[in-house]
Amino acid sequence: MRAVTYDVVIIGGGHNGLTAAAYLARAGRKVLVLERRHIVGGAAVTEEVVKGFKFSVCSYVVSLLRPEIIRELDLARRGLDILPLDGAFTPMPDGDYLWRVNDHSKTRREIARHSLVDAEAYDEYGRAMVAMGRFVKPILSMLPPDPTSLDPRDLRDLLGLVQRFRDLPRQDQYTQVQLMTMSAIDFLDQWFETDVLKATMAASGIIGTFLGVRSPGTAYVLLHHYMGDIDGAFRSWGFARGGTGAISNAIADAAREAGVEIRTEVAVSGITVRNNKAEAVVLDNGHEIRANIVASSVDPRLTFLKFIDERVLPADFLDDIRRYKFRGSSGKVNLALDSLPEFTCLPGSGPHLRGAISISPGVDYMERAYDAAKYGAFSRQPYIDVVIPSLTDPSVAPPGKHVMSCFVQYAPYHLSEGTWDEKREEFGDTVVDTLSQYAPNLKSSIVHRQVVTPLDLEREWGLSEGNIFQGELTLEQLFFLRPAPGWAQYRTPVKNLYMCGSATHPGGGIMGAPGRNAALRILADTGR
Amino acid sequence: MKEVVIIGGGHNGLTAAFYLAKAGLRPIVLESRAVVGGGAMTGDLHPGFKCPTLSHHTSLWTDIVSDMDLVRLGVKFLEPRVDVLAAPIDGPPLVLYADPDQTAEAMRARSVKDAEAYPAYRASMEQIATVVGSLLASPPPDIDNPGAGDLWNLLGVGRKFRGLGKRDSYRLLRWAPMAVSDLSREWFESDLLCAALAGPAVSGTMLGPRSAGSGLVLLLQEAHRMFSGNLSQVRGGPGALTLAMAIAAHDAGADVRRGTTVERILVKDGQVAGVLAGGREIPAAAVVSAVDPKTTFMRLMNPTDLTPDFLMKIGNYRAAGTLARVNLALAGLPRFRCVAQDETALLSGRIHLGPTLDYIERSFDHAKYGEISTEPWLEVRIPSILDPDLAPPGAHVMSVYAHYAPFTLRSGDWASSRDLLLRRVLATLEQFSPGIGSLVLAAEVVTPADLESTYGFWGGHIHHGELALDQLATMRPLLGYGRYESPVPGLYLCGAGTHPGGFMTGGSGKLAAREIARSLTA
Repeated sequence: MRAVTYDVVIIGGGHNGLTAAAYLARAGRKVLVLERRHIVGGAAVTEEVVKGFKFSVCSYVVSLLRPEIIRELDLARRGLDILPLDGAFTPMPDGDYLWRVNDHSKTRREIARHSLVDAEAYDEYGRAMVAMGRFVKPILSMLPPDPTSLDPRDLRDLLGLVQRFRDLPRQDQYTQVQLMTMSAIDFLDQWFETDVLKATMAASGIIGTFLGVRSPGTAYVLLHHYMGDIDGAFRSWGFARGGTGAISNAIADAAREAGVEIRTEVAVSGITVRNNKAEAVVLDNGHEIRANIVASSVDPRLTFLKFIDERVLPADFLDDIRRYKFRGSSGKVNLALDSLPEFTCLPGSGPHLRGAISISPGVDYMERAYDAAKYGAFSRQPYIDVVIPSLTDPSVAPPGKHVMSCFVQYAPYHLSEGTWDEKREEFGDTVVDTLSQYAPNLKSSIVHRQVVTPLDLEREWGLSEGNIFQGELTLEQLFFLRPAPGWAQYRTPVKNLYMCGSATHPGGGIMGAPGRNAALRILADTGR
Repeated sequence: MKEVVIIGGGHNGLTAAFYLAKAGLRPIVLESRAVVGGGAMTGDLHPGFKCPTLSHHTSLWTDIVSDMDLVRLGVKFLEPRVDVLAAPIDGPPLVLYADPDQTAEAMRARSVKDAEAYPAYRASMEQIATVVGSLLASPPPDIDNPGAGDLWNLLGVGRKFRGLGKRDSYRLLRWAPMAVSDLSREWFESDLLCAALAGPAVSGTMLGPRSAGSGLVLLLQEAHRMFSGNLSQVRGGPGALTLAMAIAAHDAGADVRRGTTVERILVKDGQVAGVLAGGREIPAAAVVSAVDPKTTFMRLMNPTDLTPDFLMKIGNYRAAGTLARVNLALAGLPRFRCVAQDETALLSGRIHLGPTLDYIERSFDHAKYGEISTEPWLEVRIPSILDPDLAPPGAHVMSVYAHYAPFTLRSGDWASSRDLLLRRVLATLEQFSPGIGSLVLAAEVVTPADLESTYGFWGGHIHHGELALDQLATMRPLLGYGRYESPVPGLYLCGAGTHPGGFMTGGSGKLAAREIARSLTA
């Protein structure tokens, strides 16, 4: 083995690992990225699971990717093309539906069909949320200050936050505090009366968490729908042309061009720490790769409890890492279809199939789906967020055929009975049966079905307990508490070891911000 | 002397009256019922039996007790031998004492790990409660124009926060927004212990153990304990305490009028002019409402005296109660499965009947859908153990907080669900104390609907509104009205719907009186 020493070795070739690599290499560092799977991208991948059908296997829509990253890494030139997702269609069991689209007056008429009061409130709500999003956005690119530190920079940043809050108009202060603390339903109850409207809007508040729509702390995530930056359009969510993997590929391209070396099918088994300094990465074939800096984009459980001899870590820190909460709550069912689903409540293959299709017909429906998960069973009537990207991007399926991506909640990682390997098909059947209640032709159109359980997310994609955000996005695990109190600034108790994945501020959702923020931290710490 | 009308003769109204009188004003307390006390009263349950009707637990701040000189007025605090007895369905009980080391020793047989962790948990909790307490002891700061006093207070809090050290200051930041189930499981392995700790964190709220924010309710309660010295039981029941408070207020110069119902708060030229009570106008320089914010603004005021925006926000203030009360007159002391016959002292504190976190969570699930829990979790006291005068010799009274009993039922109403609730409570008690049913001589049920209609708690909410991060401190009841003032000049609030809120502490009445006296005597 030739003894090359890299400036930085990055563990994990997901979008955050690649983003960090690109920024570091552009600043002149010699960077190596190690990815265990055969392709880069982590959970942001496109895979041809069955011939001709390209699935965005895990993550399937995009909105939060930081615009500065798109700009600085020149991702548009590298093939990143975001196609807007138009609308949200919610079929209801009674044969009615709710269909919100980009077209403002259309949506207004549609909501008025359910409630005149809500149609009025909807505009006002949208305006309030945009204002709130404006307050929160800068925090995403911020290095979380340490509230217990007396460092002038931390104090200045904290006071800056307080000052920005005080500068908000009274009404906005009020809404901001509510968003940070309330449940999605309590928050929406203040604005709307239509059950299905509240249910379908609240759904975004529970994605990836082990919480229900009535659980305090879920309102905050509602904001995310108003922070997207794609043309400032309604919801502002979109597909990457070619599937979610196209995002990772574009970032990988930027990284390679800057000189990053990316190796796939290389599994890391350890990090060598001597004298409390990270010195090298050990591969599962026993080889050691020396590095001045090791940056881990995988989650803290793998990084600190699997890769490192825990005796070298401070006891308090270990406690914090051990109790960091993952508890994955979602699964994925990807379908290859030979024809489009036909919804009883709105037949035909109209534009309502081009946006998100949400199985969230009522607030109680959503809450009961959560109740099942609390006691260790997957929901028999789950919340499902469906998209059919092939309608917008024909390149992902053979002509005339379609791919359908179903995000399913709740699928708790910890089952009280049986294992996920035993329950896989039952879970898949539940999802298809639930959808068939609204679109009876679905079953006969399925060419292939891929079921991704939380256990699969852990085994195949290295997401502990199947949590899609590398750890729950709850208040006690956000900002200066992510991933551990006192270690939110991408550093770790081990010198020269950094964290750069979704388990760091500001968390998951294909933002790329953790990777970029961590790279900037490393560059600042290593000078030059 | 300026006359100030105080609406409601509960413990906060009486506390405010006392301090306002001391400040040189002339308070007139108007209480609609024939007795003072509000949520803190002792009722005649059955001939010869007296029982706390609503709250069976007081935690009046000790400085209020001494300012009002209540001990001289005959108030006697009784000290339970144990803090909490948590009963499992089978097996030995879990006992928490005031002394953490004694608790740890008793816990050792159940779990060595928990026994070792408990003293550290208590020490950390008490440290943190001190900091939270320093926030509760002063009015919330004015965020727009913090005055010198505000800055001084905040500086004090900041210094205390720093004094915690990194470990505990991070704990404070993490614990407040957490779910109490997660918080307790970080420390302990015994499910019964976790459930016993979760009880107070969800009692009276629309929260289950898994609800984020229940950690905060626990911190608040611990902080208030620091101020009340854990003096939870009063001889003669809570009514004896509030009766003495009424005397203290009267002696200080307040006029306490019972049986006087306020129908409306009168506003003239945009300024409070007094109240209409029993059809008569009572003019006043200021009106201070000790009843909850929703009742104050939505029932006692003419809506045209407020802005639509304010009314909408008050309408959105969450105050949906989840608690019912059951009081039982018992022919003898009930036997608990987990308590030996000669250990009745173990029953003298709070008895927690909710054996696992999932048990409590499942009973909460019903509340979300407007149903009465089929297997309620119960917080029980038998006050007659320490205070035998409450019942005839050998007999006892038992006071039960029954969770969950949501104010709004999806099917049926509370008038027709009273017996169902009582049956479920008795069936649950029977599980832990077989044979208790045969001891029941009389039962009193106070439903959430009664809490509103008879006792004046809007939505039947015993804390005058949910104790959630967005409804506390500067935001209790609403942002911009956190310092006991209202949009109408001359109208103030001093009840549990203001900072620091809830738990029968008198804190709101005391802090409000200080603010009101300052603005009225300026």
